[in-house]
Amino acid sequence: MVRELAGRLAALDPDASAAVQVIAYFDRLVETRAGLEAIVRGAAVLAGCPARLLDPEHRVNVRVLGDGRRQDTADPPDAAWLHAPLGYEHATLWLERPGPAGAVDLMILERAAGVARDALTRTRGRAPSADPALVELLLDPAAAEADRLHAARRLRLPDSGVWAVAVAGAPPAIEHAGTRMRLATPKTARTPGRRTGIGPDGPVADLPDSWSAAKTALRFAAEGDDQDPGPRVVRADELGGLMVLATAVTADTEPAPDVRALDHAASAAPWMLTTLYAAASEPSLRTAATTLTLHHSTLQDRLTRAEHLLGWNLRDPQGRLRLQLAFALRRLHRHPPT
Amino acid sequence: MTVPTPPPFDPELAAALTVMAEFVPPSLTLETLPALRGADFAGLGEDLSRGGAIDVRELTVPGPEGEPDISLLVLRPAGEEATLPALYHIHGGGMIMGDNRLIPTEMVDMVVDLKLALVSVEYRLAPEHPHPAPVEDCYAGLVWTAKHADEIGVDPERILVVGASAGGGLAAAVALLARDRGGPGLIGQMLICPMIDDRNDTVSSHQMAGLGVWDRTSNDTGWTALLGDRRGGPDVSPYAAPARATDLSGLPPAFVDVGSAETFRDEDVAYATRIWQAGGVAELHVWPGGFHGFDMMAPQAAISQEAKAARLRWLRRILGA
Repeated sequence: MVRELAGRLAALDPDASAAVQVIAYFDRLVETRAGLEAIVRGAAVLAGCPARLLDPEHRVNVRVLGDGRRQDTADPPDAAWLHAPLGYEHATLWLERPGPAGAVDLMILERAAGVARDALTRTRGRAPSADPALVELLLDPAAAEADRLHAARRLRLPDSGVWAVAVAGAPPAIEHAGTRMRLATPKTARTPGRRTGIGPDGPVADLPDSWSAAKTALRFAAEGDDQDPGPRVVRADELGGLMVLATAVTADTEPAPDVRALDHAASAAPWMLTTLYAAASEPSLRTAATTLTLHHSTLQDRLTRAEHLLGWNLRDPQGRLRLQLAFALRRLHRHPPT
Repeated sequence: MTVPTPPPFDPELAAALTVMAEFVPPSLTLETLPALRGADFAGLGEDLSRGGAIDVRELTVPGPEGEPDISLLVLRPAGEEATLPALYHIHGGGMIMGDNRLIPTEMVDMVVDLKLALVSVEYRLAPEHPHPAPVEDCYAGLVWTAKHADEIGVDPERILVVGASAGGGLAAAVALLARDRGGPGLIGQMLICPMIDDRNDTVSSHQMAGLGVWDRTSNDTGWTALLGDRRGGPDVSPYAAPARATDLSGLPPAFVDVGSAETFRDEDVAYATRIWQAGGVAELHVWPGGFHGFDMMAPQAAISQEAKAARLRWLRRILGA
């Protein structure tokens, strides 16, 4: 009865309807876990010209003509043709047609490249690395929401349940619950020992807020050593009112007297900060002693000395809160906003 | 009755179907028929002459006795003087739609590639013209073609009937009529996803309800248009619904293909099986995940290319070409 998918698409409104159909076509290929040839064929047929997927690293060279016939070639593609990188080193999807690209061409390239990347990951057993520019765009509150949603589709993120992750000394990253797949270049993968702040999860559109919160959470993350004891990974949604405190401490804020007191105490003994941190964070002094592998009376002696140096009582709730706040402020000073 | 899970569509076909869904609803009713008949099914305006490579003639020939004349569209390679084998083509459209210009692209290509004549018959459509009008028109056109073969440069000993969907059902019926009325002789019948069983009650017809293309609601629409109250009853002629034939012996070699994900799967598989059981020759292809007419609607898909290639190979064998 009905013929030619390409003819059908060509007859549609070239911008709106056709783009929707292109998305629907590739979404369905994803659902049915179609192979690489089917994906390249989709690009070729929808664009009405030969399409090619080249991934030298995986020895992938799939070429399909506009009528759907497979016809590989060893000839290199013409650099002037429309193409889209997959996010692998040199893997590229080509439409054998010179620019300029129309809206539908761009949509075909983008969707086919994204779906092909996933198929390569699945069939060649390799995690994709995210395009850092796309991640950056998603986290940028100044970017138009439409552009951010577009970037999210390219990264194949779910609509919700996504969050930003700030890792000390590494580019920003985005994670989601479905796969917990890390969308970052491999060398920035979260490594134990690196200070990390995790933003709250939410819809893709809220990622800039999640990123902002993740950066704040990172400031509360400690190195976890003698000089900066505390948790290396901090979740923004567990900080509560401490988030407000972060805005009060910038790079040129003078340390509060309690922070100076804490530093003063730290200089008095190598065990001071870890001991105080245990006292501030453990449920009881008894468990703090166990954590520190100290005899209970030894801990009591150390706290007496610390109280003398700090100038306040550490064995009532108010004193412990004051100590916790001093630690929080000290970390904020050590890790100023970037 | 518990309806089993339908088989999944082939990935590429599923994607194509998603795009075409708004043009091709799975369920057709007589209420939507006027709009469907008016629609350009993208093939109607097709250039059958292939830019001059094919001569296209339209002939008016006598219909069944006492009935109106019928139109035959005759395609031949341009400038070809030789006597050629012929595909006698019966178009699809559920018994209720279409016309004789609705010829699968691959068959038009075969005219040039295999040096064939193709005769496409215009038959009256249900419900305006119920059984036996459609099949008798098709048979009358075949009789004229064989009898006047020399006038159109056709070898009367080398004629095949071909058709898809309702056209496949009518082709099967014409083969039964040709056997039972003593001619014309046929060297093959190519039945592409043929519509042959008015009872519309196979497992596949239930599995695919509301899915794909031409589901059991559409099928009920087509058969009821053709047969009225007799549809599914005890006295339906095998020339209306070839699945009703009790004797499938003495038929020309059959090619039957069908998708695994379509209403007609079970009746078409059964038809090929019964031809073998009757000592006949049949080649059966069941394409996994194919919906009805998949190779015509999504010709680019890998499985569509294979389905068309299988037909071409069978035809070459039959013709010795």
